[in-house]
Amino acid sequence: MNNPNLCSICGKPAAVRLNNPERRLCAEHFIKDAEERVFKAIDAAEMIREGDRVLVGLSGGKDSTALILILSEYVKTRPDVKLIAVTIDEGIAEYREDTIKAAERLVEHTGVEHGIISFTELFGDTLDRLVADRKNLACSICGVLRRRSLTEAARRFDADSIATGHNLDDEAQSVLMNMLRGDKPSLIQDSSLGYTGYFVPRIKPLAVLSEKEIVTYIMLKGFYTPLPECPYAVTALRMEARKIIGTLEERYPGTKLNIVRFRDGIRKHVPYSPKGTKGKLNTCKICGELTSGEICQVCRVLNRKQSDE
Amino acid sequence: MKIILPDRKTIEEEREPAVIKDILESLGINPASVIVAKNGNIVPDDVILENADELKIISFAHGG
Ligand SMILES: [Zn+2]
Ligand SMILES: [Zn+2]
Repeated sequence: MNNPNLCSICGKPAAVRLNNPERRLCAEHFIKDAEERVFKAIDAAEMIREGDRVLVGLSGGKDSTALILILSEYVKTRPDVKLIAVTIDEGIAEYREDTIKAAERLVEHTGVEHGIISFTELFGDTLDRLVADRKNLACSICGVLRRRSLTEAARRFDADSIATGHNLDDEAQSVLMNMLRGDKPSLIQDSSLGYTGYFVPRIKPLAVLSEKEIVTYIMLKGFYTPLPECPYAVTALRMEARKIIGTLEERYPGTKLNIVRFRDGIRKHVPYSPKGTKGKLNTCKICGELTSGEICQVCRVLNRKQSDE
Repeated sequence: MKIILPDRKTIEEEREPAVIKDILESLGINPASVIVAKNGNIVPDDVILENADELKIISFAHGG
């Protein structure tokens, strides 16, 4: 064979082949390689500052499993940083129970403090019931409510930032979706990042790893368990974006990373201002949270009414 | 050659040695959407599978 499948570093049988630079890595060296790429991304973007308390969204699914495993390695070199894992229980029958168990195993293994917050506690009901008559919108409504839940968790645990498990695939798909929708504000300002001085900043340490790398990582670490899939389908446009980018990546390796870097390049050149507000933020007339309009997204998706006073 | 598909169905048949990626494509599976294990070990998809080998195809579904 003209390309024996051996680790470029130690010569043992390789588990993965990566490009840019072209290399083959055994299990041990792939784990190290993936962790180091994330550590580098964290440091390069100064995602975690001295003494930060970092809230880690831990759903128990594959992305957040990798996130907590990698961050708990990272803090071994940063004893000033404290991690707190939070699991949001959306109230999705026959799905969330198993993932919460997975999350509990992970915090036991990593020794990270763990909290659970439920939609019922925050919004008065389970996601299943909140979307009973509009299941097609479940995924986007859930996203809005989960974001608010994490903000609330950050407040409760006095966190300085919120780390989420968004991977390279998620990020590349979002860029394409923003383009296809003509949504320039979302392309140039990450609505999930928060605005300095207003919201707790969000960090996405795994955005340098593809979905495939993340699953490989947790498999090689022995933390892969096939879990039930969320019964609510992802938006149709995301499915399309996923297919298109998947095909392009196969033919032109590096496409995903190029898409995300292209977006990051644009963001560097665009003056910073909260989405569509020219820098102005209000407090929601119903719940009092910060919003760019009059009524916040959470109150809108929950159809909360303004009381006449 | 024994091939375990993502849905756990198994194909067992005599086959000429082939590159895993080509086997995946012949089964209509996009190599980028799966992880493959040869005789129990994760391998890159340009590795050759011999007739005596076992291939397990693990598909990772979307979902946080
Ligand atoms: Zn090695
Ligand atoms: Zn509100």
